[in-house]
Amino acid sequence: MNEQEFIASIEELLEIDPGSIGLATQLDSLEQWDSLAFVSFLALADSKYGVRVTPTELRASKSIADLMKLVGKR
Amino acid sequence: MAIAKVSCVRIAGIASAVPAMRVPVTAAAEIFGADMIQKISQNTGIEYRHLTSPGLCSSDLCFVAAKRLLEELHWEPATVDALIFVTQTPDFPQIPATACTLQMRLGLSTSCAAFDVTLGCSGHVYGLWLATSLIAGSGLSRVLVLAGDVASTLSSPGDRAVSLLFGDAGSATAVEKDVTASPCVFSMGTDGSGWKNLIIPSGMQYARYPRDATTCVRRKADDNNQRSAEDLFMDGTEVFAFTIREVPPLVKQVLDASGWQLEEVDALVFHQANKFMLTHLAKTMKVPLTKVPLSLKEYGNTSSASIPLTITTQLREEISSRSLRLLLVGFGVGYSWGACAIQCGPLVAPPVVLVDKSEAWSC
Repeated sequence: MNEQEFIASIEELLEIDPGSIGLATQLDSLEQWDSLAFVSFLALADSKYGVRVTPTELRASKSIADLMKLVGKR
Repeated sequence: MAIAKVSCVRIAGIASAVPAMRVPVTAAAEIFGADMIQKISQNTGIEYRHLTSPGLCSSDLCFVAAKRLLEELHWEPATVDALIFVTQTPDFPQIPATACTLQMRLGLSTSCAAFDVTLGCSGHVYGLWLATSLIAGSGLSRVLVLAGDVASTLSSPGDRAVSLLFGDAGSATAVEKDVTASPCVFSMGTDGSGWKNLIIPSGMQYARYPRDATTCVRRKADDNNQRSAEDLFMDGTEVFAFTIREVPPLVKQVLDASGWQLEEVDALVFHQANKFMLTHLAKTMKVPLTKVPLSLKEYGNTSSASIPLTITTQLREEISSRSLRLLLVGFGVGYSWGACAIQCGPLVAPPVVLVDKSEAWSC
């Protein structure tokens, strides 16, 4: 999976400026990472990557890199 | 998975009723701020809701819908053999069953069977399954399914996950024996492991979490929302994950069992959970959005009434004039789900009735 493309899709999901996050960005530091974003992420993983991420896996994720691991699991 | 094929039964008519009071979601701007409301509204697709006021119950909305439907169908009340009332918001906290009071109020015969079914989002499909099965299996001729909720009353105004989501509505579906009707197919399922994710934990003294002096106190919860143990709680992330896991296979199953191709279906009438969820389901199941009617914008998520309300508001002209192949798909609280593939129409479908508070039962 293309790292840049994944980061861009998360930026789009969170409605934040391109280039404002990287793999090391901690989710806690993003004000936009809220319950609506959780659901949007599950939808993105399902429709774009064909992966059913569980809420437990999502809660355990701390960084953008963790999210990328989740959708790359298949 | 419980799959059932039921023959010789048709839906003769569907009616719905909502409280007259229509409230824009922006009315909550003081609590959440205009930006947050806009964000939530974009996600849910909800702009208005019809909200009840104290004393106007689910049964009153269903009563008005049923009365209207019986009149339009020219059904004598005495010809109704059974009444099924589907709700999670009954007239009385425990007893008696609201279905019994509705038998009396509608002037149905005392030889009419009447009972309540305590299901929400999946409830209308369960009610239809029971009604059609009673007719096919027990020889009844006419059954009324009344499904309705005043779900707006269950949430804390300070809980942004649910307080702008639910609208109030009641419905009536008339089901009768018809030897010429095409068979309808049902698929039902349950996963009780999701019980915690849509719940009102407390509120009664002798229930699982007994009511005490603290259970009605609203506090800031882990998710930063203000609610008490007697308010509705929803874990939206868990419910979304459940839905995208269970609904696509459910739809496939009921299609396979009915022998229909997805392209042959005129409309998929989903429980109106929220727009984001339904749009996602349509996209992943490759269903054009034109086949997924939504009543969310005007009415919100109306719990057990959402499927009949969507039919009577979004498909009324079509279903009044011709026969449609419908998939009705309910899913949610429980977790409980059910889908029905049914060919129905032309049928009697009066416009949605607005109900004033003065029409509440004066018992």
